[in-house]
Amino acid sequence: MRSQRGFSLVELLFALLVLTIVITTTLAVFVERTRRLRQASETILAYQVLANEAELQRRIPFAAVVPSATFNTDMGLLGAMQPVTTSIDVSSTQGGVKNVTMTIRWNRGQREAKLGIVRVDTGGGNLW
Amino acid sequence: MRRNGFTLLELVITMAVFGIFLMMLVTLSNEMRGQEKRYPVNFMSHPQVLTVLSRLRRDVLDAFGANPYPPSAGNGKYTQSSKTLIIDTFVGGGLQTVVWDFTTPGEARRISYNVGVATEWVARGLPPDFDANIDAVETPGHPYGVRIMAVDAKGRRSIDQVLQPRVHQ
Repeated sequence: MRSQRGFSLVELLFALLVLTIVITTTLAVFVERTRRLRQASETILAYQVLANEAELQRRIPFAAVVPSATFNTDMGLLGAMQPVTTSIDVSSTQGGVKNVTMTIRWNRGQREAKLGIVRVDTGGGNLW
Repeated sequence: MRRNGFTLLELVITMAVFGIFLMMLVTLSNEMRGQEKRYPVNFMSHPQVLTVLSRLRRDVLDAFGANPYPPSAGNGKYTQSSKTLIIDTFVGGGLQTVVWDFTTPGEARRISYNVGVATEWVARGLPPDFDANIDAVETPGHPYGVRIMAVDAKGRRSIDQVLQPRVHQ
């Protein structure tokens, strides 16, 4: 009667190793794709909030443009990205001109979006 | 007769190791899926939405007059509401009244009235769950801002933009 042989344990483990590598590689590609899509969405959401804050910073009186740790506009758009931190930095290189940089940081500070505007003191017209 | 194969113990150990690996993958995938569900549908990646927003933005930026938002337009066919925005704009050296109508799901209509002539432009390819709402927003000394918001089918806010008329001199 002919001998009936199956796979040895080493053969089985090797087959599983190959399968594991294939699955892991596929999943890694999928995870990376998802991560990049999420980052793109986050960036779009963040820049909408930054643009809204810029609209406000463009219009408040020149003297009221000061550094701050919080935005004055609604942050509801960033609900899925919480916790986020914000900051408004104001620097001036010459009189009557303020460089305003608005920053949003999220993902434990690993990601950030910035938007800068230049405010010029027009004497009350709030032009920029 | 001698038959080679696995012992039960070998099989169990091998399957257990592979099972743990599969379980890790499933857990990771579920966690990722749960996290993705928190995020709104990214309407801003839709070309028609971008077109509508950029055109609306230009209309608001060009808004003109002491109060650039008349209560109605088109002989009363359109009135200001959370789904309809009416703006007097200053474009190309002339005044025109522009109506933005978001009342039909999946559509945005822009009707402009210029010296009695109505011109309509319709964006028909908006996502069907694109639900836009228009609100007024006020900043110090500038009461005529427009806020457009859009939520997806699950009510998650995807668009929130504040637009302010620019100063005409």
